[in-house]
Amino acid sequence: MNGPRSYIFNSMVRLAVFLVNVFALYLLLRGHNAPGGGFIAGLATAISLILLSLALGVQEMHRLLRFDPVLLAAGGLLTAIVTGLLPLLVGKPFLEHFNFHLHDVPLLGEVHVGTPLLFDVGVYLVVVGVTCKMIFVFAKSTQGLRALVAEEERRYSSPVEQPIEADVPRAEAEVGNQGKEKTHAD
Amino acid sequence: MNWTILPILLPLLTALLALFWGKPSRARRVVVACSAGVQLVLALALVTRAYHGETFLLNLGNWTAPFGIVVVIDLLAAVMIALCTFVALVAVLFGYVELSSRIEHPLRLPLTQLLVTGINLAFCTGDLFNLFVAFEIMLIASYALLTLEADDWDVKQAFPYLAINLMGSTLFLCAAGLAYTLFGTLNFADIALRSAEMADDPRVLALGLLLMVVFGIKAGVFPLYYWLPNSYPTLPIPLAAIYSGMLTKVGVYVLLRVFGTVLPHSLDLVHQLLAWLAGATMIFGVLGAISRNFIRGILSYHILSQIGFMVLAIGLFTPLSFAACIFYIIHHIIVKSSLFLIGGVGACLNRTDNLDRMGNLWRHAPWLGVLFLCQALSLAGLPPLSGFWGKYAIIVVGLEKGAYVLVGACIVASILTLFSMLKIWNSAFWNSDEEREVCLWDLRWVRMSWVVAIMVVVSLGIGLGAELIFRVAQEAATRALDQEGYARIVLGYVGKGATPAP
Repeated sequence: MNGPRSYIFNSMVRLAVFLVNVFALYLLLRGHNAPGGGFIAGLATAISLILLSLALGVQEMHRLLRFDPVLLAAGGLLTAIVTGLLPLLVGKPFLEHFNFHLHDVPLLGEVHVGTPLLFDVGVYLVVVGVTCKMIFVFAKSTQGLRALVAEEERRYSSPVEQPIEADVPRAEAEVGNQGKEKTHAD
Repeated sequence: MNWTILPILLPLLTALLALFWGKPSRARRVVVACSAGVQLVLALALVTRAYHGETFLLNLGNWTAPFGIVVVIDLLAAVMIALCTFVALVAVLFGYVELSSRIEHPLRLPLTQLLVTGINLAFCTGDLFNLFVAFEIMLIASYALLTLEADDWDVKQAFPYLAINLMGSTLFLCAAGLAYTLFGTLNFADIALRSAEMADDPRVLALGLLLMVVFGIKAGVFPLYYWLPNSYPTLPIPLAAIYSGMLTKVGVYVLLRVFGTVLPHSLDLVHQLLAWLAGATMIFGVLGAISRNFIRGILSYHILSQIGFMVLAIGLFTPLSFAACIFYIIHHIIVKSSLFLIGGVGACLNRTDNLDRMGNLWRHAPWLGVLFLCQALSLAGLPPLSGFWGKYAIIVVGLEKGAYVLVGACIVASILTLFSMLKIWNSAFWNSDEEREVCLWDLRWVRMSWVVAIMVVVSLGIGLGAELIFRVAQEAATRALDQEGYARIVLGYVGKGATPAP
């Protein structure tokens, strides 16, 4: 259930979302050699999105940020795998990483970059996607909304599915579902 | 390029591809089936090369063994991967002929491939923590598949599965922590070397007991099997075939690996306990099977009873009994999956798998009856079918070790297995009550039977070519028990397939 709208909370969230995401980016970038990394950065971003959904409501937020969390996670997984596969092209084992130290880059000076960052980006996307998916499904179900929006329903739900907790007595449900009729011993 | 990573990578990439593809269609089905076929060919190639003495080793990210993550495929792992990919391929094909792509659940194929990824990773991982990760991948995919097409009754049945396996995972993590404090490493080979010196330490015994409980839960050993027999019957038939074939056998494989390759061989207490629990599993499993009156329920309980045979073979703990266990796993995975599929064909013909309402199948579909008989008698252990040889070897070892009570339990369980198979035979096939309608017009059953026939032929091949298979099993058992050889390959880089150290 949505509580009454709070002006203070809404304004603070608008600020906090940016702060949290900048922090998440910081964690992501420093992750290879210092505490941080894709996982924790993904959690931070997910927290910012959850805050946003609390302030705006899940539906409104979905209207603002149109992304499918599942595809985001799958894309992240693909990024991570492809990063792992790249060394195979030069005859190195799976998941080997390479680091480069660049000198005299304009504006930045000395920069240390490496493929672990790409892998971390993959992890980041997976964590954001999975966390958002879980939280939004729970949030929607507590607010009495449908768990999947229409386009997700086309992608992820079965054409012959029956809603759980339908108010149909069991015997009738079985008649309508003859292909996989249930037999329960007890 | 090192091929060792492919058994994990191929199903994972297939799962992602199918997920991005989204809507089920014929093209998506063909692509996934092709990938499953390629995986099977690859796995068979691995088995042949492993049989000729190779062990495949890959240091992920080029980090050397005790510090980095290793993927090791020895003969035992290769055989298990081949079985897994074979069952997955047949189940995928069976799913295709059972449901048209219009009404297929879009997530079923991606999740099935993800399940295969987890199972394969469990087979070829070389350290305890990655084994945990593999179990989690496998279990999460299985939770999702179990409730994917479920109604509220099914969700209720799936709950114990979720709860008990979560508890098992927690205990597993505790066991991994204990292992790390004891040995300072989680790498199998490293643990094997270090634990050899502290074999008398009671903490190693405690670790052995803890791991026995954890993998006992996964394998479905008495008294921790409650999650299995009620949740498996709620699955769609092709998925039930994968679950019944592979998931509990992952537990058995890990028991083999952990007690054979990793922990010291002197943990007699654990082995004895395992053997007695196995005896109880056999008897209670088969009694449960007799108490059920629908095919999937009977078969689900039979998984437990058969797990008892395999775990008994591990508990007897001789090289021959390990070979018998591996042979039994090979036989059982094929037979059990195909029995589930045959039950599915029967349910398609009779529109139910409740034995009170089935019948007339022998009159209208005699070839299905022949398929069923081959597999049911094999499960009960009649010569010359594959089940006989596995049971024969286990009983021989049992008599050698003087475990007469357990041998008696084996024989009783086998006879009761035959009895419950006859129950299915009498009600579903032999029964000629005119009221029991057989829907022969539903032509799906013909193609479904052809898919099952592939499995039955393989199973007959195992029975008739038992000597070859047993030789493979013996070779796999010898190498799985050879702790020093395993450690030399993983840590010492003397295996042929090894990547040179940087």
